Amino acid sequence: MYQTFIGLEVHIHLRTQTKVFCGCRSAFGDTPNTNICPVCMGYPGVLPSLNIEAMRMGMMVARALSCHIPEKTWFERKQYFYPDMTKNYQISQFASPLGQQGYVDIEGKIGSAIISKRVRIRECHLEEDAGKMIHAGAVSRLDYNRAGVSLLEVVTEPDMETGEEAELFIQQFRRMVRYLGVCDGNMEEGSLRADANVSINLPGEGLGKKVEIKNLNSSRFVRLGLAYEISRQGDLMDAGKPIIQETRLWNEARNETLPMRRKENAQDYRYFPEPDLPIFAPDAAFLQSVDSAMVELPLPRIRRIISAYGLGEEQAGLICEEKSLADYFETAVSQAEAAGLAKNDAGIKIANWLLQDVKRILGKEGMDISDIGAFRLHPARMASLAVMTAAGKISGKTAKQVLDAVAAEDKDPAVIVEERGWQLLSDPAQIACAARTVMQTEAAAVTEIQASATTDKRRSALTAYLVGKVLAATGGKADPKIVNSQLEELLREAAK
Amino acid sequence: MGYNPDKDFVQYAQAWEEKIQAFIEWRIGEELLPAPVTAAGNIPEEARTQIAGLPFAVKDNIAVRDLPLTCGSKLLEHFRSPYSAAVVRALEAAGGFVLGKTNLDEFGMGSSTDNSALKKTNNPWGIDRVAGGSSGGSAAAVAAGIVPYALGTDTGGSVRQPAAFCGVVGLKPTYGAVSRLGLVAYASSLESAGILADTTERCRAVFACIRGRDPQDETSHETPEAAPALYHAETGRAKKIGVLSPEAIARALAADATGSEALEIAVQASILEDEVRRGFELAQERLAGLGHTLAPVEIPSLKYGVPAYYTIATAEASANLARFDSIRYGARPDWAKNPEELIDKARDAGFGAEVKLRILLGTFVLRSGFQDRYYLRAQRIRAALRRDFESLLGDSGYTDTAKFDALLMPVFPSRAFGRGPSSLSAFAQKAADLYTCCANLAGLPALAFPASVEGGLPVGVQLMGRAWAEGTLLDIAEGYEQAFPFPHPEGFQAFWRQVCTKPL
Repeated sequence: MYQTFIGLEVHIHLRTQTKVFCGCRSAFGDTPNTNICPVCMGYPGVLPSLNIEAMRMGMMVARALSCHIPEKTWFERKQYFYPDMTKNYQISQFASPLGQQGYVDIEGKIGSAIISKRVRIRECHLEEDAGKMIHAGAVSRLDYNRAGVSLLEVVTEPDMETGEEAELFIQQFRRMVRYLGVCDGNMEEGSLRADANVSINLPGEGLGKKVEIKNLNSSRFVRLGLAYEISRQGDLMDAGKPIIQETRLWNEARNETLPMRRKENAQDYRYFPEPDLPIFAPDAAFLQSVDSAMVELPLPRIRRIISAYGLGEEQAGLICEEKSLADYFETAVSQAEAAGLAKNDAGIKIANWLLQDVKRILGKEGMDISDIGAFRLHPARMASLAVMTAAGKISGKTAKQVLDAVAAEDKDPAVIVEERGWQLLSDPAQIACAARTVMQTEAAAVTEIQASATTDKRRSALTAYLVGKVLAATGGKADPKIVNSQLEELLREAAK
Repeated sequence: MGYNPDKDFVQYAQAWEEKIQAFIEWRIGEELLPAPVTAAGNIPEEARTQIAGLPFAVKDNIAVRDLPLTCGSKLLEHFRSPYSAAVVRALEAAGGFVLGKTNLDEFGMGSSTDNSALKKTNNPWGIDRVAGGSSGGSAAAVAAGIVPYALGTDTGGSVRQPAAFCGVVGLKPTYGAVSRLGLVAYASSLESAGILADTTERCRAVFACIRGRDPQDETSHETPEAAPALYHAETGRAKKIGVLSPEAIARALAADATGSEALEIAVQASILEDEVRRGFELAQERLAGLGHTLAPVEIPSLKYGVPAYYTIATAEASANLARFDSIRYGARPDWAKNPEELIDKARDAGFGAEVKLRILLGTFVLRSGFQDRYYLRAQRIRAALRRDFESLLGDSGYTDTAKFDALLMPVFPSRAFGRGPSSLSAFAQKAADLYTCCANLAGLPALAFPASVEGGLPVGVQLMGRAWAEGTLLDIAEGYEQAFPFPHPEGFQAFWRQVCTKPL
């Protein structure tokens, strides 16, 4: 067996209003070449000016990855010619990236693999994105809306060993940046992009020849691409053939990696400090603004929710998948708690509703669970539903119907229950009255129950039959427990 | 005083322009109205009167909306700017208006303006001579009296050297004192917008108008409170002036040059022409006569200035000029089989030889594995030079006491040179930048002004000062000008001042 070393380079588009070095709107899905200006088009004489929001968001990610934030951070020019690069150099960071030498823990399951691992982070650096070149037959078209959009690159050390670990890293990193609100994490649209590098070697021999894999535009492809590459390199080693240091492209149609370029033609980027931007030395106020923008991160939150609400590990994980869902959950539970419900009762009830019914209702409306913050079924309504259920005002089954009705009609649960008359009938006198009527119309059944020859089994079947009749007579609203007790009492009385 | 666009002036300007070819495009025949004055009240009134209602010329590597921005290059021959530089907007807001765009060495690379791919500019003092460069068109236009002042850019002497060649005032401000937004970048960490003006008073007014922090140029700053005032400075008129000995520099260079042909040429190029030496000596006598105290100084690190300058300038140029790929703008080849070939052909046809040379040099010095030998070493020399100057002039933060208020030195070893056999080689021209490029390396202000006329051509001298001390330099030069009025070429008429001073 060989030892495998996997490192990732993850790029995220920061959700800044404007681009990183000019005032253009940071939206690249628009009509081509509408969000551009002389600065991001690289016109003669223009100068970059740093979008401080991008720096702040970058440092939030650095903090979340336990990185060291240096006293001084600056930009370099990374030089190479490409038609989608308007200046033919990219303003990036090289010698003093904004986040350095951190780590992040990943914990979870991919398929049957249970993973718990610390991955070291080499650096986080801020840079500008390039435009987009589209080849269409004999012509090439260029859209520069994306040129100059804030990009944060996070580079890990080669600490992962399997495709599953890399996939989990991407998933949890995506969840983390969404928690921080700095990136939407959409891999299909390219707002989160990952390149992987992998090398294998005999155990104890250190890193092997590094192969970089590009075009991995989903976390699944990260796993598949790495699995393919690990086995390809293993076969080469088995056969005593050399592994070539190169960049390969993942081909999702053929499920394999194909060579793109060899490292011997690697470009010399001729980095040098960007003379148009001064060194950035974050002051105490700026670092404070980074800290105050931080939120509780997913892993600690999952641990806390398990212990505070008594949820299972899997359920807590699902609740914490999206920050908006976890926020919703905790708000609803605390409101139910304020109305006198036990925390664990409310927690489990609400978690179940959220993960089953609410997910289904949102799906029907074409919404994602992450949209829950803006949904009609707001936390106060959820809390009142939990309180009503616990107090026996409605049945568990009715509660699910109430959820649908609240979502459909945008009314409070109490109003829905009142309008539909869905509250449980729990007055023993009323139920006893209905039971007496049933006992009269079902006299034969009553007689059989009271006959001494009737078996216990037969007797309980007949009793259940009568309970059903009483429930039917109350339109299904009577509390079945009370129906049962009232009926048994009446039967005892009748037998005397 | 005021703009006088009557027939006489138009004929005067056209007659001069026919001889000197200073403009790439101008609006001399058009009816021009100055923009309404919109500047906030932060410009002193005495400055405004020097600008409002008057035309100015702009070097064609500084953006003016809807006007050409050729940079003297074939590649940008038909390019027009979609926006205006911050310095142009500031002058327009004070009531100035742009008469036209002036010729230059391609992208500011040269000392003669003959590196322009578009036209040849001649010196108003003798049309067989160059106007200097790279801001040669701006200097010639001011010297001929077509405009009272013009904007230039100074990366290693490109304002001061043509000012000296044409007999006008040339100011390179402190790095960061003036916004670079709209200057087509050649060497970003060295260059500044500069002023070529008919008088010291005008130069001061234009500087007062264009200086200050621009949020769109993060390397720009406001003048610190502790810096000498631009107007009505309360310090005495007599200054302490350090005199840099050209002979000492030439000796220091010669000591290193043994056995190297190239370095021998550099030594020769650094030696002052007799007329320049006479002008330099005369300036010393006159300044002493005006009550200033002069003392000799030596700056040993100066001999490394030119190599450090060209290493840094070309490194930055190789990146700054990479954007000219003719994908989004610029002259394109008729046909290319792919985008890469389009870029190759456009740059091959669009750039002149000097530009290609500097891009190649810059690419060479930035190669990975060689940075320590070239680029980083040049940066260390630069830091040492800055320290040496600060030890004489005081630091930029005004935390120490200066030994000198200013340093006096030559601008260029020769007067305006001719073309053909009497010309200076491209290599000698670079070596001769040693007196000007150090101000750019150190980021300090430097002012060139006409000291005298020797052999029918003006000789300029240069004052270098502490960071943000433009006011001090202008005060010294203004005192000189009052006592020894600046010269003008034959045929010059003063349209921009009531009293026409006679040539010396």
